[in-house]
Amino acid sequence: MSSYELRDWVTIGLFGALWGVVETTLGSYLNVIFPSFTNTFFKGVILAGIGVAIALTGRFFVQKRGSLVLIGVITALLKLLSPAGAKIGPVVAIFMESVIMELVVSLAGDPRRWTFVLGGALAVAWNFPHKFLMMGLMYGRNVAQVYRTLVENGSQMLGLDASFALVILAVLLGVRLIVGGISGWSAWALGGAVARRLGQRTQAVPE
Amino acid sequence: MKRFSALGYLLFTVWGVALALIGRGWQLAALVILEFAFGLAWSREGLRPLRRLRFWTFIAIALALGPFLTPTSGLALDRPSFDWSGLSVGLEMAARALSLTLAFSLGLSALSLSDLVALFDRLHLPGLGFALGVAMNLLKSLESMARVTFETIKLRGGLRRPLVALRLFLVTLVTNTLRYGDQIVDVAAMRAFDPNSDRFSDPEAIGRSRPADAGLVLGLLLSGVLLLALG
Repeated sequence: MSSYELRDWVTIGLFGALWGVVETTLGSYLNVIFPSFTNTFFKGVILAGIGVAIALTGRFFVQKRGSLVLIGVITALLKLLSPAGAKIGPVVAIFMESVIMELVVSLAGDPRRWTFVLGGALAVAWNFPHKFLMMGLMYGRNVAQVYRTLVENGSQMLGLDASFALVILAVLLGVRLIVGGISGWSAWALGGAVARRLGQRTQAVPE
Repeated sequence: MKRFSALGYLLFTVWGVALALIGRGWQLAALVILEFAFGLAWSREGLRPLRRLRFWTFIAIALALGPFLTPTSGLALDRPSFDWSGLSVGLEMAARALSLTLAFSLGLSALSLSDLVALFDRLHLPGLGFALGVAMNLLKSLESMARVTFETIKLRGGLRRPLVALRLFLVTLVTNTLRYGDQIVDVAAMRAFDPNSDRFSDPEAIGRSRPADAGLVLGLLLSGVLLLALG
């Protein structure tokens, strides 16, 4: 942390705030459009896609290990302090997304466009296991049994092969990966465009 | 005036989450009662989720699953078992969800921005506390910055080409945000502020434990052991 300078901390705060604004304002609108228990897929994909793009743009300007996690921590804390109150699900999701992005970008060495695309794709894809993990945590091990039997019974009831359920799950995962990839790509492009406009300040590797 | 320090409330959350994850049956019911009592006594704001219909829908789903669950044969959609075994599984799921939510909201909702900043200072992470302060104080400015940018693009007819407008909006918003950040850096630098130095924070004075914390720790330990002994 000692390698972080004043400007880095301010930039981390700024991008954490940007992500926080999206989570609190757009999140509230989406809650109205897609109420909970009816559709969490679109809400999750939209919020994660935008959030991931903001965090990765922040990484473009703070080329230091751990900066994505720090942006995620700030956003999670803002979410905790928001009037909507403390909710476990979104806080865990934001933190995990930032950890996944950080792992991908840091392991790849110098930030490049493909690391942003991969990091973004995997981070948004986290929404997929997140729902199962949180339901498992909240409801205990019985919920896994519920999911499995629901799929089996549902496929029997509709006269469909159980493998169709796998196809549907694969499509849902694929959509998340694509949206995340686009977010990562956009973050790289946005970072470049802003850096050009400001005429400076990034050590990102030019393509 | 809060009864416990930030560390005390954090400890309560850790205690509640741990017990909710390892507890079963009556242990979970007792945990919910203890948490509720804690909320009534020292963290009323944290009981806010209980006033939301959405929260109770969430709990009701767990309860509604009960009759379809049997501990031996699992889920039975075609022949729901309206007996105690199925209902107890549903109740346990609902109690776990309730206790986890309460542990989280009672402990963390009691913390203010200054509590968190003080906590980071105490953990020798003053930079993170500073960044959190910057973020929290900029939320309103960023919202208005985004609104002004959007309105400007709209007034100039930019919305006729949505993709170009979106690109313009994002580039302008991020550029303005970073320029705003430059001003914050200048102001902080003028005051010789160094987020990596503990010179500006006094760990003895901030985030200090309160006498009541010792009682809280003892209470949590005792009730934790009692709860586990219930099983």
